Amino acid sequence: MTVELFGMARSLAGVAHVELALEGPVALPQFVHALAEAVPALVPDVIAPARDAFVEPNLLLLDGRRAPRAGETFDAGDRPCVLFLASGG
Amino acid sequence: MAYAGPRDLLEVDLTARTARRTPLPDAVFADALGGVGLAVLLLEQRVHGPIDPLGPDNPIVFAAGPFASTPVPAANKHALAAISPLTGLLNEGLSSSHFSAVLRRCGLAAIVVTGVADAWTTLVVDGEAIRFEDAQPLVGLSAREATKALRERYGDRSLRVCAIGVAGERGVRFASVENDGRQAGRGGTGAVFGAKRLKAVALRGRGEVGVADAAATASLAATLRERALGPKTAKYRILGTGANMRVLQRMGQLPTRNFTAAQFAGTDAVTPERARESHDTYVELRAGCAGCPVQCEHLYVRKDRDRRRAAASEYESTWAFGPNCGVDDLDAVLDAIGRCDELGLDTISTGSAIAFAMECAEHGLLPRDAFGPALAFGNGAVLLPAIDAIAQRRGVGDLLARGVRAAAAAIGGDAAAFAMHAKGLELPGYEPRALPTYALGLATCTRGACHNRSATYDRDLRDPSTDPDPQARAADAIAAEDRAVAWDSLVLCKFVRDCFVDFEAEAAALWSAVAGLPLDGAALRAAAQRTWERKRAINARLGWTPDDDRLPERLLTEPIADGPLAGRRLEPERLARMQDAYERLRAAAGTAAPVA
Repeated sequence: MTVELFGMARSLAGVAHVELALEGPVALPQFVHALAEAVPALVPDVIAPARDAFVEPNLLLLDGRRAPRAGETFDAGDRPCVLFLASGG
Repeated sequence: MAYAGPRDLLEVDLTARTARRTPLPDAVFADALGGVGLAVLLLEQRVHGPIDPLGPDNPIVFAAGPFASTPVPAANKHALAAISPLTGLLNEGLSSSHFSAVLRRCGLAAIVVTGVADAWTTLVVDGEAIRFEDAQPLVGLSAREATKALRERYGDRSLRVCAIGVAGERGVRFASVENDGRQAGRGGTGAVFGAKRLKAVALRGRGEVGVADAAATASLAATLRERALGPKTAKYRILGTGANMRVLQRMGQLPTRNFTAAQFAGTDAVTPERARESHDTYVELRAGCAGCPVQCEHLYVRKDRDRRRAAASEYESTWAFGPNCGVDDLDAVLDAIGRCDELGLDTISTGSAIAFAMECAEHGLLPRDAFGPALAFGNGAVLLPAIDAIAQRRGVGDLLARGVRAAAAAIGGDAAAFAMHAKGLELPGYEPRALPTYALGLATCTRGACHNRSATYDRDLRDPSTDPDPQARAADAIAAEDRAVAWDSLVLCKFVRDCFVDFEAEAAALWSAVAGLPLDGAALRAAAQRTWERKRAINARLGWTPDDDRLPERLLTEPIADGPLAGRRLEPERLARMQDAYERLRAAAGTAAPVA
């Protein structure tokens, strides 16, 4: 599964894409765990130390368009992107 | 227990050259907390009907954040409020750093400036002493140069100064006010300074700022500081907001060429991340506000250039001159940002005004050679001449200096269709057609199109339904607005927003420990609601009606043109349903009880 990385995730990983050895549909906690295994540098700034959730406001959007619903599974065809938006000050 | 912080109000009349200092009662702080809450309360007491924003009756209000000059991190901030010459409505901005802290060290909770000086003036607050000094030698200088000159005159490098640049002197309606390299950028308060012939306000104060419960304050502040050094703010420390650009491009919602497209082919060339990644070409400098552990500001300059020309790379600024003007030349974009800071211009409104002019030129409504180099999307060479002409109010620049709403009215024809604003304030760099809750917040915002008073895009990102539940979206928008008022009254930097587990309870406890007056989460919410009601009441006195809560026609009539969200619309009927729900919920909430 190819994962597109943006912002902090890209900066810490040093790459724009990462390949995860995941076969078939996965749910979010499984995906986050696999991503943490593949790119340990994402813990703890992007992925929480328990490796089961993103540190807000980092989030996963499928094809950059929507977050998976609770319990929903997704696969490589959903084109997962890890990103965040930031404004304020 | 009495309010423990500095409590004096300094009222200055520039016409009469008088100043009066009076203590504010505890009830004022219990009611309004500080910052924006206090500034809005003081404006409500002084604005009773329509006034000329550039006339003597428009009060400029400085209101210190209640945590400034205390151990609380990310809180050396102040509110700067006035009636906006761009919108004709309330404008409450924020700025930060040493000036905010010294305001309190002068024993002041707030300053209100009215009248018009008969010559260019610097208002000097030197502890208890107030002076009106000749500012003629400072005219034509940037805020940074004026600060340097004042410090040399006083022989005091610790003098804290807020000042306007040339744009404010000339009355550009989106001129900013700068202190310590930070700007209260939006809404044109710099022009209000200029109209009053107020070039600068200089502060020198070394008084102690007390807190009610030093031990509790230290403990709560230490917790917040520790969190602010952790992963919750890493994105600001390491990257800054400029990282939004690639994200929005990927999501298909990067406003491009004055909102005519949502995909910008030059994104990777112009994103601030590119400068960060190009170690051989650019130098990255870091900066931040006094007492802030985040140090969020990332400035870049080419290695072969003077480092003093390094430009800040916030998303909004790089978007305004990059994608929104179709410019994919990072150096041109950074130079444009730097020139705006030098001249004292709001980058969002300036970039938007130029993008508007580019589209007008494309349609034959403005001459393509108005600024020399072709006034056309994608031409980075026109940015600096256009910015200079706006600041100097020369030719077409004078037209744009009024803001896109007024410029479109003067140009006529189809120009109004190209004017991307809400209530006269130019749109920031998010695509309302893709973000329905954000769109609602943009329409209802009392300030006009401000992304920091109702930043509800998080809900939209997680649930980008094209047919949103109006009631739920309206409730989200209201909660976001009131939350922003609470932040801006406390005044905490929104970059530490994720550092609270229970924001209302923790922030209320912090305020109570510092101020010495009781406050809990519910009372904080009520205070925020009161301030929001005051904002709307002020606007109503100035002539606002709910019919003014509109978004640009383009967003309601043209679908997103390109990219993965091509065809996405913001249906006027859907927006209207959300607005109806919003008004019903606001009405049902009633009026927040006043503080006895």
